[in-house]
Amino acid sequence: MTAASRPRTRGALSKGRAEALAGYLFIAVPMVLFLVLNVGSIFYALYISVWKWNLRTGPVTFMGLDNYTKALNDPVFQTAIKNSLYYAVVWVPLTMALGLFLAVIVNQKIRGQTFFRAAYYFPAIASSAAITTLWIFIVAPDGIFNQSRAAFGLNPLFSLLGFSPAQNWIGDQGTALNSIILLNAWTTSGTFMLFYLASLQSISHEVYEAAAVDGANAWQNFWRITFPLLKPGHYFVATVAVIGALQLFDQALIGGGVNGDPNNALMTMVLYLYNAAFHQFNFSFAAAIGIILFAVIFTATLVQRRLFGQAPAW
Amino acid sequence: MTSPARPIRADTAIAAAPVGDRSWKWRRRLAYVLLIGYAILMFVPFAWSIITSFKTLPDSVRMTVVPDPFTLQGWDYAITKLTPPMPVLFLNSAVIAGIVTVTNLVLGSLAGYAFARLRFPGRELLFLVVLATLMIPDQLRLVPVYLILNGIGLTRGLGQYIGVIVVIAISGTSIFLLRQYFLSIPRDLEEAARIDGAGFLTTFLRVMLPLATPALSAVAILTFQGTWNGFFWPLILLQDQSHYTLPIGLLSFRTAGGFATIYPPLMATVVMATLPILILYLFFQRYFVEGIAASGVKG
Repeated sequence: MTAASRPRTRGALSKGRAEALAGYLFIAVPMVLFLVLNVGSIFYALYISVWKWNLRTGPVTFMGLDNYTKALNDPVFQTAIKNSLYYAVVWVPLTMALGLFLAVIVNQKIRGQTFFRAAYYFPAIASSAAITTLWIFIVAPDGIFNQSRAAFGLNPLFSLLGFSPAQNWIGDQGTALNSIILLNAWTTSGTFMLFYLASLQSISHEVYEAAAVDGANAWQNFWRITFPLLKPGHYFVATVAVIGALQLFDQALIGGGVNGDPNNALMTMVLYLYNAAFHQFNFSFAAAIGIILFAVIFTATLVQRRLFGQAPAW
Repeated sequence: MTSPARPIRADTAIAAAPVGDRSWKWRRRLAYVLLIGYAILMFVPFAWSIITSFKTLPDSVRMTVVPDPFTLQGWDYAITKLTPPMPVLFLNSAVIAGIVTVTNLVLGSLAGYAFARLRFPGRELLFLVVLATLMIPDQLRLVPVYLILNGIGLTRGLGQYIGVIVVIAISGTSIFLLRQYFLSIPRDLEEAARIDGAGFLTTFLRVMLPLATPALSAVAILTFQGTWNGFFWPLILLQDQSHYTLPIGLLSFRTAGGFATIYPPLMATVVMATLPILILYLFFQRYFVEGIAASGVKG
C-alpha cells in the first residue's frame, strides 16, 4: 500500500507546486502593476506630502504637516470642500431617487421593457467631455433650454424664481453647480437604475403575492415592501454614489476651467488638487490634498456603513 | 453573488397583478405615454447635437429641427481646421482604447482564472489587494503615479502613450468580473482536460476561455467604452497636443478662445467623439447593461 501510494503522493506534491507556479505567473503582471501603482503609490504619496518637492531632484526640505495645515486654512480649499459636500448632499439623493424610480418602472410587466431599459441607460454611454460640452451648449444663454421655456410660456415662473429669460446657467455663480448636478443626475440615473434592477430581482415574488391577498395597492407595495427590502441595494448605490460625488472633477473642469469659474462656484476638491499639481506645480501640496481627499471619502464611507450598512457581500 | 452573465429577468413583476378595475386600462395607457415621453427626452440632447452640426452658425441658435440651409461646413471645419486635428484625436483614442481592451482581456482572464481555480499560497490576500485597488481613489494616486512615470521617461514623446496605457492596462474590475464568471463554470470539463494530460495554460486556453465568451465580451465592451471616454489619466499623462485623446481634445477646444461658441463644428466634434460608442451600444446593448449590473453585484 505504501509502496503504491508514495509515487502518487510525490506526483501530487510536484503537481501542486506546478499549480502554484502557474498561479503566480498568471497573476504576475497585474500584481506588479497594482503593488507599484496602487498600494505603493499610497505610501509614496504620504512620503511626498511631508516634503518640499522638486520635480527633477525630489525631496528638498522636510515640511512636516505644513502642506496639510496650509490646505485646510486656504479659503479656496474650504470652498472646494463645501462645494463637493453640497454636490454630494443634493446629487446623491436626487439621482438615487431617479434611478430607483426608473428601476421600479422598468421592472414591471410592460411591453418593450428591454427598449426602455436601454433608452434610460443611454445618456450614460457618452464621455463626460462630450456630454458636458453638449450640456453647456443646451443651457447657454441663447441655448435650447432657455428657448424652450420661452416657447412653453414658462418664463413667468422662472422670473418668479429670479431667473431672466437669458439666464447663463453655467456662467452664473448661483446656478453653475446646480446645472452640473442636473447634468449628472440625468446621465447617472440610468446606471443607478441598473444597480437597483439587479437588487430588485432578489426580492421574492411571494412577498408581493401575500400583500396582494391582503389587498395592498401599488403605492403600499412600494413603501412597505420594495423600499425596505431594497436596503442592501440602497446601501450599495449610496456608497458608490457618495464616493463618486466627492470625486467630482471632469464636469467642473470643463464647465469652469482650472479655477472652477465663476468665482470658484465649480471649484471641487479634486479640481483644487489638479490645480495644485498641474498649474502651480506644487506636487507635495497636491499629494497632501490627495491624502485629505482620501480621508474624507473614507470617513464618508464609514459613516454610511455605520448608519445604513452591513458588511459587503465579498 | 450571481454570475456576471446572468441576464436581468424580464418576467419578474414587482407590483401585484392588476385587479380587474376599469381605471387600470387608462392608467396603463398613461403610463406608456410617460415612459415613451421620458425615453424620447433621453435622446433629445443627442439629437440636438446632430441637428446643430449640420446647421450654419446663425441658424445654430434657432430652435428649429430642420437645418436651414443644410450644410456640411461644420463637419468640414471640425475635421480639417482644428488643432489638434480631429482625425489625430480619433486615432489616438482608437489606438489607446484598443490596446487597453486587449491588455485587460489577456491579463484579466489569466488572473481571473488563477484566482478562481488555481491554488497557491497567499491567493486570498492577493485577491484582497485586487479588491483594494477598486477603493483607492485615482486622485490619491495622481502625484505618485505621475512622478513615477515622469522618473522613467513615460511622460514625454511616445512614452506618453505607454505611460497612460500602463496605468490602465489592467483594472481590478476586469479581474473581478472574470473571476466571478470562472467560478460559475462547472469543474468537470477542465478536470476532463487535466486527466488527458493538458497543462494549466492549455486547459485555460482550450477549455475555460471559450466558455467565458459572455464575460469576455462584457469586459471588452466596458473597457473599450471606459477607455474611449476616459478623462482623468489621459488629461494628466498626455501632455503634448498631438498625443491627446478625444475627451482631452474636446476640453482644449472649449478653452481655446472663441471656438466654444462656434456651435456647428463644436457639436460635430461631440457627435464624432460619441458615435463609435453609440454604434457599439446599438449592437451590444445587452453587454453594456449586463456588465454594469454585474459590476454592481460586487457590493
